[in-house]
Amino acid sequence: MKKLLLYLLFSTIGLVLFAFSLRTGIVQLHSSLWSLLTQHTGVDATTVWQIRLPRALGAVVIGGGLGIAGVMAQGIFRNPLAEPTLIGLSSGATLGTITVISSGAATYGSRTNAASAVLFAILAAVLVQLLAPNKGYGFLLTGIALSAILTAMAGLIISISSKPGIQSLAFWNFGSLSLLTNHTLQVIAPFIEVGVIISFFVARRLDAYSLGETSSHYLGINPKRLRLLAIIAMAFLVGASVSAVGSIAFLGLLVPHIVRLLVGPAHRRMLTFSAIIGATLLLLADLLARTIFQPHEIPLGLITSLIGAPLLILLLRTKQSQWVAND
Amino acid sequence: MIEIKKISFAYGDNHIFEDFSAVVSNKCATLLGGPNGSGKSTLLQLIGGVRAPDSGSIVINGHAISNLKTKEQAQLRSISPQRRIFELAFTVKEIFAVVKPKQRASHSGEIFEALDLYELFEAKVTELSLGQQQRVSVALALIQRAEYYLLDEPLSAQDAIYTQKLLGLISILSKTTGILVISHSTGHIAQYFDENIYLS
Repeated sequence: MKKLLLYLLFSTIGLVLFAFSLRTGIVQLHSSLWSLLTQHTGVDATTVWQIRLPRALGAVVIGGGLGIAGVMAQGIFRNPLAEPTLIGLSSGATLGTITVISSGAATYGSRTNAASAVLFAILAAVLVQLLAPNKGYGFLLTGIALSAILTAMAGLIISISSKPGIQSLAFWNFGSLSLLTNHTLQVIAPFIEVGVIISFFVARRLDAYSLGETSSHYLGINPKRLRLLAIIAMAFLVGASVSAVGSIAFLGLLVPHIVRLLVGPAHRRMLTFSAIIGATLLLLADLLARTIFQPHEIPLGLITSLIGAPLLILLLRTKQSQWVAND
Repeated sequence: MIEIKKISFAYGDNHIFEDFSAVVSNKCATLLGGPNGSGKSTLLQLIGGVRAPDSGSIVINGHAISNLKTKEQAQLRSISPQRRIFELAFTVKEIFAVVKPKQRASHSGEIFEALDLYELFEAKVTELSLGQQQRVSVALALIQRAEYYLLDEPLSAQDAIYTQKLLGLISILSKTTGILVISHSTGHIAQYFDENIYLS
């Protein structure tokens, strides 16, 4: 009952923010949103349908996807610090995008761009698997080190590339929904869908996996296969979003902590809620990014960090949110 | 029948088993004893397939476990490890839900009943006492449908009452399945078992 109320509450907040996103911007709307539903010509209609709608929908799809990716990361590494960014997925996807765009093999927002981001993300994560010592925090630390290398490589390519306009990708590196179009959204949506489906498919096994690797093997779960499936799911989710909007800081780390506090640690329920919370938070962050200093737009990553980090610190101070240490 | 056939296993230079053979029979309760470090838990991990012997083989009902998938192994045997990690605040009910309904043994209800677990269903597993956590952990193994139940030190954190209740359950289950229990102190409970394996 409490969970149903939370579900309704956050869905409603999300819907309100969504409507706000469509209404608010530099162009003042003269007609109501309702009247624009059936209208497809004129300045108001173009602004809403071609510019604001892809942006708001993108915030929902990408925010939801990143929330889910965060739950998967903490689940599969059984670690409250885990986040897709930390294990090489974001930097792999960034490098994948920069590589195909600077080489001229693909244009921004194309299917090739998204596919190569996903592919590079998978390769980065697999490389981390191969390089990491199989003990303690070896995996996360190796991920952090490899991320640094990949990010540096992406930066290097940007600075030596002669392709005009590629420097603008440096802005994109902080994350921004401003480049989203209806077309880009159509390109990335299927990738994110694949990631979401795989995530739900392995949710129950993640519950068992939380009891320990040996314990889950005894329960009939192959830990290696589970890890591979989880990495592929995260690569689809993170790779597709990075290819379209750059890497957005903090969402993947913050959302699972909020959700665990609200509905407990069972993964299937966490996935549903993290999609809603992730979408809501990104809608809010994007709305702030483009309205606070209108007409200037602030990089989204700055907003998510400025809201997300203090929120995380607050959350960690509440009693129940702690990942219980057995000591 | 679980056949342990001439296995050898070493941690580096520390040889735990050399040409060791033993049998765990069906419809029988077997007690596996021996001092600390004699390889009791290692033997369980070898049967469970998380470690592989350096030589020799382990065969369950005619199937060499090295040829079985993780899922197929779990249909033959269910194992309660010495320790499970309870660091997320799952409810006890959610912990048991990791065993899907179609994988559940028909005797699950009796297990919950006998170990007084129904009353803990809504409790958070992280807030239970060590003894309660151990009962949850052992029950999680016992509610899986399997032909053999292998329990690593299931009594170590239990008081006299629950020790009795668990031994009673083991006696009942051993009428239809094969049971292997590891204990480092075997003397006072030996009478409840049909067979003994002692590692030295």
